[in-house]
Amino acid sequence: MPLPEFDYIRPKSVEELVSILAKHGSEAKLMAGGTDLLVLMRDRLVRPRYVVDIKGIGELQGLSWDEGRGLTIGAAVTLNEIIASEVIRERFGALWSAASELADPTVRNRATLVGNICNASPAADTAPALLVHNAEVEAVSAKGSRKIPIEDFFKGVKRTALGPDEFVKAVHLPNPPDGAKSWYLKWKRTWGEDLALVGVAGLVANSGKWIVRVALSSVAPTPVLVAEIQNAFEGGGTLEEKIEKAAASIPGGICPITDVRCNAEYRTHVAAILTKRVLRKLLGLG
Amino acid sequence: MKYSYMGKGVPRIDAFEKVTGTALYTGDLRFPGMLYTKLLKSPLGHARIVNIDTGEAEKLPGVRAVLIGKEAPYKFGIYMGDKTVLASGKVRHVGEPVAAVAADTEEIAERAVELIKVEYEELPGAFDVLKAMEDGAPLVHENMSEYRHAPFIYPKSGTNIANHFKLRKGDVERGFKEADVVIENEFYQPQVQNVQMETHTSIGQWLPNGQINIWTSAQSPFAVRHLLSVGLGVPLHKINVVVPYLGGGFGGKAGLHWEPLVVLLSKKAGGRPVRLVMTREEQFYTTAVRQGFYARIKTGAKRDGKITAGAFFYVWDAGAYADYGVNITRAAGYSCTGPYEIPHIKCDSLTVYTNHPYGTAYRGFGHPEFHFATERQMDLLARAIGMDPVEFRLKNAAVPGRITATGEKLREDAGRVDECIKAVVEAIGWGKKAPKEVNGKLRGKGIAALWKAPAMPSSTSSSAILKLNEDGSVTLSISSTEMGQGTPTGLAQMVADELQMPIEKVKVVTKRETDFSPYTWQTVASRGLFMEGNATLDAVRNLKEQVKTTAAELLGVPKKELEVAEERVFALGRPDKSIPLAKLATAGIFPDGRGIGGPVLGYGYYTAEGLTNLDPETGQGLPALMWTFGAQGAEVEVDPETGDVRVVKMASAFDIGRAINPLLLKGQVYGGIVQGIGSALMEEFIFDERGALLNKNLTDYKICRTQDIPEEMVFIPIENPQRNAPHGVRGIGEHPRISIEPAIANAIYDAAGIDLFEIPMNRERVWRALRKKGEKRAFA
Ligand SMILES: Cc1cc2nc3c(=O)[nH]c(=O)nc-3n(C[C@H](O)[C@H](O)[C@H](O)COP(=O)(O)OP(=O)(O)OC[C@H]3O[C@@H](n4cnc5c(N)ncnc54)[C@H](O)[C@@H]3O)c2cc1C
Repeated sequence: MPLPEFDYIRPKSVEELVSILAKHGSEAKLMAGGTDLLVLMRDRLVRPRYVVDIKGIGELQGLSWDEGRGLTIGAAVTLNEIIASEVIRERFGALWSAASELADPTVRNRATLVGNICNASPAADTAPALLVHNAEVEAVSAKGSRKIPIEDFFKGVKRTALGPDEFVKAVHLPNPPDGAKSWYLKWKRTWGEDLALVGVAGLVANSGKWIVRVALSSVAPTPVLVAEIQNAFEGGGTLEEKIEKAAASIPGGICPITDVRCNAEYRTHVAAILTKRVLRKLLGLG
Repeated sequence: MKYSYMGKGVPRIDAFEKVTGTALYTGDLRFPGMLYTKLLKSPLGHARIVNIDTGEAEKLPGVRAVLIGKEAPYKFGIYMGDKTVLASGKVRHVGEPVAAVAADTEEIAERAVELIKVEYEELPGAFDVLKAMEDGAPLVHENMSEYRHAPFIYPKSGTNIANHFKLRKGDVERGFKEADVVIENEFYQPQVQNVQMETHTSIGQWLPNGQINIWTSAQSPFAVRHLLSVGLGVPLHKINVVVPYLGGGFGGKAGLHWEPLVVLLSKKAGGRPVRLVMTREEQFYTTAVRQGFYARIKTGAKRDGKITAGAFFYVWDAGAYADYGVNITRAAGYSCTGPYEIPHIKCDSLTVYTNHPYGTAYRGFGHPEFHFATERQMDLLARAIGMDPVEFRLKNAAVPGRITATGEKLREDAGRVDECIKAVVEAIGWGKKAPKEVNGKLRGKGIAALWKAPAMPSSTSSSAILKLNEDGSVTLSISSTEMGQGTPTGLAQMVADELQMPIEKVKVVTKRETDFSPYTWQTVASRGLFMEGNATLDAVRNLKEQVKTTAAELLGVPKKELEVAEERVFALGRPDKSIPLAKLATAGIFPDGRGIGGPVLGYGYYTAEGLTNLDPETGQGLPALMWTFGAQGAEVEVDPETGDVRVVKMASAFDIGRAINPLLLKGQVYGGIVQGIGSALMEEFIFDERGALLNKNLTDYKICRTQDIPEEMVFIPIENPQRNAPHGVRGIGEHPRISIEPAIANAIYDAAGIDLFEIPMNRERVWRALRKKGEKRAFA
């Protein structure tokens, strides 16, 4: 089925992109991999007058890491590039595993991390990983640049904190606390490619004090961080008891819906199971 | 013998074309002046069409034809003439086309479709197949009694029942009285889609001189030609149907589908070729799908394991049109028992219209659906009498000498279901001690047997033409289409063997074209290798006869002393009496230059033998040209926390008579298993309460991907040759897909102690069953 008509623009620099957005703003849609955008256009759910391809902008293609500033992922970096990064695999396990679970290898050849969060689907696989890693989104417009904490970035189903003339230049992840480990588990209808019925990212660190963060996708209008998890690890009890307590706090922290993919009840059940599984994995409990 | 291809894994002869992308499919074809079609589809499940306004659409530049149902009153249908190409008067399912536009580009056609305005008056719908059978249910076809239909279809006028197949054997009530244990259960399978890689694609042209040309992704070119001719009232010789390679059929492209629509659009557009390619969404809800299925089965057995009686009540959710559905109802009805002998049987199998997308053939022709019910029932009944399910099956197995439901005594060469069961038992280690729990997952094994015969008219026939070329090579023409199953390769092997020539010198024509190709009924029913095989062997005999006749004259040797091998005709042991085939291809030549004979064109045919119509009241008769028996075994792992079922291993055995090409055979078997696992665990149409399909895309209609395929698949060919078959072969195309669901369901019981009666056995459904069992235990 053909796409509706549009003009295709491929800027070469960030400045050029800024001015295109300043001029066309609400009539334009940015395209990174296009794996969300083109599907939406084919289904006539969006009909942009201009499609602005950002893959030609060198400044957006960088993936860098250093001890001081942590990890920076440019808007044109694909998920397969993320999966190929040793640093991400070692230090940002949740992001690495989320990228590895998103769609399939062919889609990941085009799909980007920034496209995934800008699309703002409740099921975005990489969002929980960014939440447990305290990521920051660097947004740019003609008015300048600003940093948006990832927790403030998602505003609803398919809605973000970005203005019409604003775009994401990069995502920053600070270095995690010492000894931290993180991972993402995804529950689907099949073992093959599928969207998440529930996705759970966990991060655990303990250098004297527990730091435990759990965030989920597909269980609320936006990806959510469940703050109560930290409390479960504050008091006494064995690790197993803490995990049980953490899992018990999950239903209160989410509000899943029933849809064509499954019932809310099943989502709630699986969210708790996956929370236990990811924490057990991170805590080395087999 | 120098050349021996039987039983060898010869790589498929079309591999190069298909791997390199040079193989042509209908969607690859372009013609000068070709137009593109888009459809306006009904948003409602059941509604009267009050008005259609196409004015704006017609004015759009580039639009060449806009067609609505009123202009195309022709009724089509392979067994029941109930369908028009565009809804007329009323719409019967969401997604049914109401208007079609042919335009210079797809974009223009699509814009024009958006400009058409339709006014509907919504009607109460029949969205539940059992309710659709009740008195007073909204009628999907008020005028059913006026429809033309095949003589073996029994519609009940004034209802939604398009066919009621009846089978009565023995005295079922007496049989139940004789039983020590009687159980009754209900089973359910949803509508699913064939999900061919290539969606339905057709190009049609109706020229002003009356000639109709069609290029289409259809399984059965001659059926397309015949049904189009009957529906439009056009003589057969005015219609030419071309079928290139198909990108998968699985039954969904049998019969006639969208060919009449493109032809009618072409006529309205002055004879320009018109192309229609279904979108994936349309493939789900506009074109044909697999019927839904409900079964209630009551079976009785003695404590010693002998089944005494079976009552089978099958209801088929045909959707809005009967298409192949009415014949699936019949085929499932006469095979209703599965591969067992039951002395007293009652079967009622009913096709019921609903306001769902219309049902058609799907690999297995109803057998995957009812075998889920019968093979689950076998396990449940074995449990009720306290017998091992394998022993129970063997005790009742339909082995040679036993009597089928239609009263057929199985011949000595009928194939052996017992051997298939035993082979699978061995392969999955049935009854062997194995850990019940591995890494927190529950393990179990299940077995299910099966049978299926081709469902075809009693006098179905096939033909073949074998042309001898000037260099001694041969070209085989058949009309059974190639859609992945590999029949042409098997036939090339047969020809090379019979003529004792290298297979590289045998070409099988890839295109089917009704103007030139020899007749065949259809490419369905796992009949190809059997029927075209017999026809091809006959054509080889005929070709040999022709070359020998000429060679006898030229060599001065009696015909009966001549042999054909290694591209020559010769007299045994007389090296001087030999002539190359190449020298006979166009005509023989005497030493003085005179010609003899003529171009050599072998012709052969085969017509099904010994089949009869079935009695309308009792269903007794001979419907089966051959039964292919089989058994499948699954080993599964169930996650007790989430309900996830993983098929670890799948073993299958079929009595295929003779494995002509073990490599292609394996391809059929593995492919069938993968397709079966898809519908066992994930595939299902999900509707809202007004009949709209909620998952008409591959995002939410899941099919198997590589990760869902079992780690281990085992195939055991059993080879008891069939007497009337080419080299003893039996059909195998559909069978590997038939008993996957019951084998898995039986294994799930073995693993987790839960009984499932509904397909698909997806994670959430299995989790609910596990939870229910857990609750029961807690309260016990
Ligand atoms: C077959 C298939 C399977 C999929 N499976 C999954 C899955 O399992 N999990 C999952 O989470 N997603 C899945 N997706 C969705 C999609 O692939 C991902 O969301 C992907 O990460 C999107 O990245 P992209 O670069 O292709 O985005 P694009 O389509 O290019 O853009 C997505 C949206 O973000 C906007 N945008 C892009 N870049 C910027 C920017 N720099 N600043 C502001 N706005 C921007 C675009 O305008 C658009 O609205 C799947 C998609 C397909 C087609």
